[in-house]
Amino acid sequence: MSGLIANESMKIYSRKLTWILLLLLVAVTIGASVLGKMNTKSSEDWRAEAIQLAHQYEERLKITELSPALRADAENKLKIAEYRLENDIPTSPNNPWSALLTFSGLMEMVIIFAIVIAADMVAGEYTAGTMKLLLIRPHSRTKILLSKYIAVSLFAVVMLALLVVFGYATNALFYGLGDIHTTDLFLNRQGQIVQQNVLMQVIKMYGLSIFPVMGYVTLAFAVSTILRNSALAVGISLFIMIVGNSMIEATAKMEGLKYLPFANSDISLYIFHLPARPEMTLGFSISVLFAYIFALTFISWMVFKKRDVSI
Amino acid sequence: MDQMPVVQLRHATKRIGSKNIVNDLSFDIPAGEVFGFLGPNGAGKTTTIRMMVGLIKISQGDILIKGQSITKNFNKAIQNVGAIVENPDLYKYLTGYQNLKHYARMVSGVTKARISEIVEIVGLKDRIHDKVKTYSLGMRQRLGIAQALLHSPSLLILDEPTNGLDPAGIHELRNYLKRLAHEEGVAVFVSSHLLSEMELMCDRVGVLQAGKLVSIQNIKDFVHKGGASRVCVTVEPAQTEQAKRLIASLNKITLPEENPGQLLIQMNKDEIPAVNRLLMDAGIQVYSIQMQEQTLEDKFLEITEDKK
Repeated sequence: MSGLIANESMKIYSRKLTWILLLLLVAVTIGASVLGKMNTKSSEDWRAEAIQLAHQYEERLKITELSPALRADAENKLKIAEYRLENDIPTSPNNPWSALLTFSGLMEMVIIFAIVIAADMVAGEYTAGTMKLLLIRPHSRTKILLSKYIAVSLFAVVMLALLVVFGYATNALFYGLGDIHTTDLFLNRQGQIVQQNVLMQVIKMYGLSIFPVMGYVTLAFAVSTILRNSALAVGISLFIMIVGNSMIEATAKMEGLKYLPFANSDISLYIFHLPARPEMTLGFSISVLFAYIFALTFISWMVFKKRDVSI
Repeated sequence: MDQMPVVQLRHATKRIGSKNIVNDLSFDIPAGEVFGFLGPNGAGKTTTIRMMVGLIKISQGDILIKGQSITKNFNKAIQNVGAIVENPDLYKYLTGYQNLKHYARMVSGVTKARISEIVEIVGLKDRIHDKVKTYSLGMRQRLGIAQALLHSPSLLILDEPTNGLDPAGIHELRNYLKRLAHEEGVAVFVSSHLLSEMELMCDRVGVLQAGKLVSIQNIKDFVHKGGASRVCVTVEPAQTEQAKRLIASLNKITLPEENPGQLLIQMNKDEIPAVNRLLMDAGIQVYSIQMQEQTLEDKFLEITEDKK
């Protein structure tokens, strides 16, 4: 089995496309860190800053047609600013961990790149005609498919790791290595303000993001296996991802939508206490994603195992 | 156990919808034989090969490789097989060596030395570390053969192996396959459209037509059966009719020929002088007399025409 995974990995990392994606990921991560640095004002007086922020969010909340998500975000931030002033808790000094928490948007890039590679894992072999020579070896089709799935999952993990490592390294250049005991104010599940270790939040966010990333990897992989067409696999997966992002708001209005993967695919919503529906929890989202991953994997496996290979 | 054929097809049938693409194929291939699999396009050759290597399911019957069923005991059966199915499709973005390493990892017991040995045998030593996309068709074919031979299989299945090879390459491959079969006891299963190629390479041929096996025999019997050869006699066009009458008097069959002055006669080699003398004595001007060896191609067309 390890030989099969080594083969699949060799095929992933021998392609130019893979290296272009990895370079792009690193470049965007560094770029986002630099932009983040440029927008950070290092003010001496945290009180004045907090008062200003509170004022800013109060103004925003007065806008009547504010989307529910933005409203919740403004409410949360206002709450934290007020709490800060009341309890005399200064903002935590600039540090690389807090910067990493603002990168949740870059997760989408990891997902898109993972989709591109996953979409080609099976379909690419059919298109190139190499599937025939791959399947006439003393290994079951289940093992062959599994090795491909594991290899592309490892690739997704590598991208997540690159995002964290390069994000941290660039920010460490700006703000120093950072104290691992740095804490900051967050809202917990019940909406209460608590002080939490920032590093732990980073680990939680990036660690748990494996689930949404794997959700999309599995989707692209399944379409690739079933339809044997890489372009369709990328297209369908990206389409669902884009539609999905706009579905998060719809989920707030329609309860049934919470069982679709969309509103469950952004772990940072839970870090910043912005669930699509109040009753949705991190555990719920991960369970939903897991169910989809399981179902898609099962369907891919059934199709791959039974199919006559005549391309 | 030594007597057991390497491949045994037992009523192998492939049905798609209500149509039998391959219909009730049964034959054996013993160790040390080069078996040629002939048939026009769409006869079901590739479908048969795909069933033999487990790429597609067998609707009815079974195929055994060294006694192991390819459907029930896939891993044990397939480990004795090296194959190229249709084109030698390899990973173009990998080097030749990486391709071989890839397949070596999928079986046990292929050492680095074995890879080097195989590379040497197929003559790719100078280019093995280049990307496959820079290879010519002939080089890809060689690499395809290399991956098939890597694990020293007991059965080698090659679909159109001489495709894209230059004459020197074909000659080399032919000799190599013969040596592999006759000296190392590998059963070689070759499908090809190049009938003349088969004639030089195979010990036995099977002819497939519309999914059915219409003939299976030794190559010598296959080609020379029927005894009489065709002889083409060219005479003065004006005397064609006269010549025909003379030959008819010898109870020889004259086959229709389009060119005026040409006669196709079915007869044995030792009868030529007599015919020649007869024509000369009658004052007919003979320009040439040529033996036409019936090639595998003629035979093949004859068989496939007959069964239509």
